Amino acid sequence: MTNLIRSNFQDHPFHLVSPSPWPLNTSVCLLNLTTTGALSMHNFNNIHYLYYIALIGLVSAMFLWFRDIISEGTFLGDHTLAVQRGLNLGIILFIVSEALFFLAIFWAFFHSALTPTVELGAQWPPIGIEPVNPFELPLLNTVILLSSGATITYAHHALIKGEREGALYGSIATILLAIIFTGFQGVEYSVSSFTISDGAFGTCFFFSTGFHGIHVIIGTIFLAVALWRIFAYHLTDNHHVGFEGGILYWHFVDVVWLFLYISVYYWGS
Amino acid sequence: MLSRTAVAVARRATAAPVLRRSIATTVVRRHAETKVPTAHIKGLSEIKTKEDLFGPGAVDGTVPTDVEQATGLERLEILGKMEGVDVFDMKPLDASRRGTMENPISVRSAGDEQYAGCTGFPADSHNVIWLTMTRERPIERCPECGNVYKMNYVGPEDSHDHHHDDHHHGFEEPKTFADFVKPQYW
Repeated sequence: MTNLIRSNFQDHPFHLVSPSPWPLNTSVCLLNLTTTGALSMHNFNNIHYLYYIALIGLVSAMFLWFRDIISEGTFLGDHTLAVQRGLNLGIILFIVSEALFFLAIFWAFFHSALTPTVELGAQWPPIGIEPVNPFELPLLNTVILLSSGATITYAHHALIKGEREGALYGSIATILLAIIFTGFQGVEYSVSSFTISDGAFGTCFFFSTGFHGIHVIIGTIFLAVALWRIFAYHLTDNHHVGFEGGILYWHFVDVVWLFLYISVYYWGS
Repeated sequence: MLSRTAVAVARRATAAPVLRRSIATTVVRRHAETKVPTAHIKGLSEIKTKEDLFGPGAVDGTVPTDVEQATGLERLEILGKMEGVDVFDMKPLDASRRGTMENPISVRSAGDEQYAGCTGFPADSHNVIWLTMTRERPIERCPECGNVYKMNYVGPEDSHDHHHDDHHHGFEEPKTFADFVKPQYW
């Protein structure tokens, strides 16, 4: 390749993104979501309408932003190896920040559970609380979540080996297990004898398992997008940063559940 | 131990041949259905414009490979790597010696202007100092360590109707004390 022809292409491997409305749009939506969320928790009249508008706006902005990124990565070829490394690092840093978020939630739990105050009856679980039996549905959910970790590993290895069907069926199995997990958590919530307003136990229980549940739902969407991209021939056997990010996120959600199961469900009951 | 082996042998003898034949026929049948002749994949030397940076795409029902499907800059990088060429030239500048006016460190550039970061000789002996070289003024000397760099322009040649000496619109080099030194003291 002559230098003249080489000068037809960008000289460096980095992706200088073009101007986009989504960062500003997302910022505005996030500010609205936080403000209206806090106000609706304080019973401001009708503010939840604005909350749902902000939520819809945020999800739409995310949808359109990720759509742009898929266009740049898959259809324009902007994601060189250096760009892929950067995206990977971004995912890892995001997961580290999520881990610290859950660390704070566990801190709140152990703060109340390790030295239960006299108002709780100086015991954990507090007097009058009937905790969930960890060897019923939560144990089944542990098995389901760990199995989904195995199926997604199968899907990943199948994709790397170039076996399309294995990658598709492995991802479908994972997403089905994820949906079953979320459904069982819904059952668990609906038959629970305590609520989020039942003192420190209820607050910590629904705070931790609720945020974990939201993360499971986000992880399911993450993997569902990857499934669609395998189906639509977007992902190659070597370049599938989004899928790997989803898998990493899924394992993170899995590990958080193990800690939740051991500390909140088993030790905490 | 022996009985267990016998069971395994017996199981393999009955089940395996049936299974193997059916899979083999499936494979043959699927290949006959889906295999299309693989299109010619352009090598790095055949790439002229962005339109050349497209692969043939994957065969239906298979997982695409990067060679089949990658486009754009990603494809250029992969085609380069396949031939052992680093198309982005990401290697650090020559740090085996100190550049001098007679024998400067060469800095490849495809544009009118090029930045080079000097970290001294030996490398990393001082903080990065960014030097700006242009086509009009290709030589720069690091004010910290005296390392000399020279821009090696490899971009497109100027077209003949372009007289860039007559009307110069770009950045004008600011005057320094050296501009006011009388010629007899040069």
